Amino acid sequence: MERYDLIVAGAGPAGLSAAIEAAKRGLRVIVFDENEKPGGQLFKQIHKFFGSKEDKAKIRGFKIGKDLLEEANKCGVEVVLNAIVIGLYLDKEVTVKIGDGIQHFKGDTLIVATGASENMVTFDGWTLPGVIGAGAAQTMMNLHHLKPGNRILMLGSGNVGLVVSFQLMQAGCEVVALVDAAPKVGGYGVHASKIARCGVPFYLSHTIIKAEGEQFVNGVIIGEVDSSWEMISGTQKHFDVDTICLAVGLSPMSQLLKMAGCHMKDTPGGYIPECDEKGATSVPGIFVAGDVSGIEEASSAMIEGRISGIAAAEYLGFIDKEELKKSIEKQEKALISLREGMFAPENRGRSIKKTEEGIDVSINLLKKGYIEETEIERFPGFTKCKGVHPVIECTQNIPCNPCQEACVKKCIKIGEKITSLPAIDETKECIGCGMCVASCSGQAIFLVNEEYEQGYAAITLPYEFLPLPEVGSQGKALDRSGKEICAAKIIDVKTKKAFDYTHLITMKVPADMSRKARFFVNSRRCEDE
Amino acid sequence: MSKLKERMSGIGEFMSQPDDQLIICRCEEITKGEIRKAVHDGMFTMTEIRRYLRTGMGLCQGLTCASMVKRIVARELLISSMELEPAVSRAPMRPVEMKIFGNEEKEVK
Amino acid sequence: MGNCADVVIIGSGIIGNSTAYYLAKQGCSVIVLEKSNHIGNGGSSRNGGGVRQSGRDIRELPLAMYGVKNLWPTLSEELEMDVEYYQEGNLRLGKTDEHINILQGLTDKAVSSGLDVQMIDGFRAKEICPYLSDEVIGASWCPTDGHANPMLATLAYYRKARQLGVRFITGEDAVEIRKIRGKARQVVTSKTIYEGETIILAAGYDSRKIASTTGIDIPMTQAALEVLVTEAQAPMFYQMLGTAKADFYGHQSTHGSFVFGGSSGYEDMNKDNGMPVTTSITASCICRGIMKYFPCLEDVKIVRVWAGWIDVCVDHVPVISKVEEVPGLILACAFSGHGFGIAPTVGTLLSQLVVGEETVLDISELRYDRFRAKI
Repeated sequence: MERYDLIVAGAGPAGLSAAIEAAKRGLRVIVFDENEKPGGQLFKQIHKFFGSKEDKAKIRGFKIGKDLLEEANKCGVEVVLNAIVIGLYLDKEVTVKIGDGIQHFKGDTLIVATGASENMVTFDGWTLPGVIGAGAAQTMMNLHHLKPGNRILMLGSGNVGLVVSFQLMQAGCEVVALVDAAPKVGGYGVHASKIARCGVPFYLSHTIIKAEGEQFVNGVIIGEVDSSWEMISGTQKHFDVDTICLAVGLSPMSQLLKMAGCHMKDTPGGYIPECDEKGATSVPGIFVAGDVSGIEEASSAMIEGRISGIAAAEYLGFIDKEELKKSIEKQEKALISLREGMFAPENRGRSIKKTEEGIDVSINLLKKGYIEETEIERFPGFTKCKGVHPVIECTQNIPCNPCQEACVKKCIKIGEKITSLPAIDETKECIGCGMCVASCSGQAIFLVNEEYEQGYAAITLPYEFLPLPEVGSQGKALDRSGKEICAAKIIDVKTKKAFDYTHLITMKVPADMSRKARFFVNSRRCEDE
Repeated sequence: MSKLKERMSGIGEFMSQPDDQLIICRCEEITKGEIRKAVHDGMFTMTEIRRYLRTGMGLCQGLTCASMVKRIVARELLISSMELEPAVSRAPMRPVEMKIFGNEEKEVK
Repeated sequence: MGNCADVVIIGSGIIGNSTAYYLAKQGCSVIVLEKSNHIGNGGSSRNGGGVRQSGRDIRELPLAMYGVKNLWPTLSEELEMDVEYYQEGNLRLGKTDEHINILQGLTDKAVSSGLDVQMIDGFRAKEICPYLSDEVIGASWCPTDGHANPMLATLAYYRKARQLGVRFITGEDAVEIRKIRGKARQVVTSKTIYEGETIILAAGYDSRKIASTTGIDIPMTQAALEVLVTEAQAPMFYQMLGTAKADFYGHQSTHGSFVFGGSSGYEDMNKDNGMPVTTSITASCICRGIMKYFPCLEDVKIVRVWAGWIDVCVDHVPVISKVEEVPGLILACAFSGHGFGIAPTVGTLLSQLVVGEETVLDISELRYDRFRAKI
């Protein structure tokens, strides 16, 4: 019987991070993952992560996955892919389906980091082909390079719904609407703004009434609900779609832990094992990390993974209690800072009226997905300067600070507390390099020069679509709500390795549009509509 | 006595609803109406519902329908969803062909 | 709601539920107490569903034959719920001469008890079930055996009994049966006390612990068996299957899934964590056993494996009897892994014992005080 110091089920951010920390401390570690690529959810995340440098902010998810795997290999961790842990038995034994047979392994410790699966909601027609989970759509696009459909309605305004909507558009799909029964957007405002300015309409306080079609989806009807979730008559709206994506939450896949006899608790967020702050469950030697112990983000998963890997090392005597305390303290501090801000677990469900700085939040952002022009002036990322200067439309307290690091001239300030809103230091001189624009994972930074030319302003914005517009092309500028507001001409297109595939396009617009124009579409596209 | 345990509990008569035809357990094609009716037949726990109707016994082993079934049963019992036990978990975590299951590597690889 | 009734039954498995039903039909008031939170959570929901007469000890064979003749064929109709009863016969398969000898022995015993069992060769076996491996050289064949769905049958009895006014209470753990003035009258649970003219103890393995509070011992142990369930397949065959050396047993259900039970050889010693748990080796062992006889099933997917205990009486037949030393107490337990097929009969018999009718069958061989030392 193969006996390892540590067996990890799941090679996602939590599992690999756990394996690395344990292996670094001398444990013999093996990781099993049912997928053909490691990295769990990371391998299909093509967007840049938020957070601080330690949290791999600014780096695209799949690259974080690759880096983790490299580090794991360097530490001597065995990672076995296409290996499904099908059972977790007494005596901490697992059976794993590998190839065309079953193999038995035993671990002195086990870390279960099996992540979560997508929730479903029911409505008339939900079983028709064409109704898929947002995560499934993401896998299709980013892993298998398949368009899930052409005209898509997204249900769910949490980060998954918002991020996948953007990726659907990057893949060439049209997102005809984003719908949520809740009265306000659940995910980050910047993710919502990214898709609102491309013209995706938001329908909060709406649910799906029916998916139409005989053999597959060919249409959908939504309707508005009141505060008691009752349908308001006369509010039905119809869309021609071939796909309905459901981004209605995740549930931990904690089945292995239940099977092992861990004490479990049923929570609104799913069925999870009882565990302490080190991830130790009620069965000695079995730990958990990541989404399987409660849904959060990949950044938290990595930290939880590290903590449980270190805890397993201490449990087996590879490190002493002193080192455990020191190492965990550092990780826990990072975890706490990730769990701060407007989207902190304790703020879930609460209606936040002001930012930490005392500024009134944008109500329109939460209802329609974009900030009103009149609201933008309240925030410290907005200034009126001469010449080119950054305008930062990041209006919520989330733990994130790549913009601060990006500016060589130190124009952008966040400070010690990384949930603070970024502020522009007007005494510093902006050189218009565009690093901040490319570094903002929320694509919420623009360079504006109100005096580019007599009567014209120049606006540099982040652009992650193909094909890139060409210098000289004429088109239309869209405002934050996706409405066409004026003619625009592309005067510069910048692609640099340091921008990591966030291209910068600069458009010339009438000067009085400088506070409104935030997206560009080619004339060709306008003609099609 | 807790409603769940006294099986003669008054939970009202079964009244059909307009969405009773909605399929809830896709794998086994069980409808909302069937689930609601089962509660009135005396099935007060998720385990009994599962054995009575086969919800959660299909290929996905309840990954898709479990929480939806729970909500429907809880509503019919006039209790909160948290008062019902969640789904069971059984090996194998994913369906495995018999010949693979029987092909146990006896020696260390 | 008072805690008194004509009959208090401990255990809501198929024995308890069928008895409750037959008693309610006779007009008795009944309370059924179930320790767990679920009706029928013990062996009744964890068995292979065999409704067989062949292979039974002569002492319980009449119960099986009675049920197959009088009760099972109309049970679905009577309970107004389909319990998926099939009477398509039982094939016990053999591949070697040793197997054939074992099967011949079982067949001879059955014939001498008046049961229609015959030995057939490999060709005839394949005529009955074309999916068999070519390596099968013979089988014992009992055309009147069959199978049903134990979960549905248990819940069907529960549903009908409940409709007839039987009061079921779950989460009620019976800890003691108490005599009042020389007669067993009270069932003490961790919460309260129930009272009845008659008390029926049908609580599976726990019956031993509860019976001991009246000074009665039922010599039984537990063994852990496992069952695998496959994904649904197109209808292939509906015979009940088994093998000479008990590699596996099972059938194809109405749903289309195959339900196959078996063990690793360590069933008497398997650990658990309070509930029956599957082991890491049993399912693979059962698969290999199945594929030896049904190679055509090798690509069929197993969707789950579950475990259950059988309550094995020292002489492998149940205790179904009044207890004269404890007037008012009736025992119905230790079914040793074959209680399901005789459950309707047992329910009928128990209801007759309660109301004082002469039982349709003689069950004196199954008395509680039959156990003797070896010398």
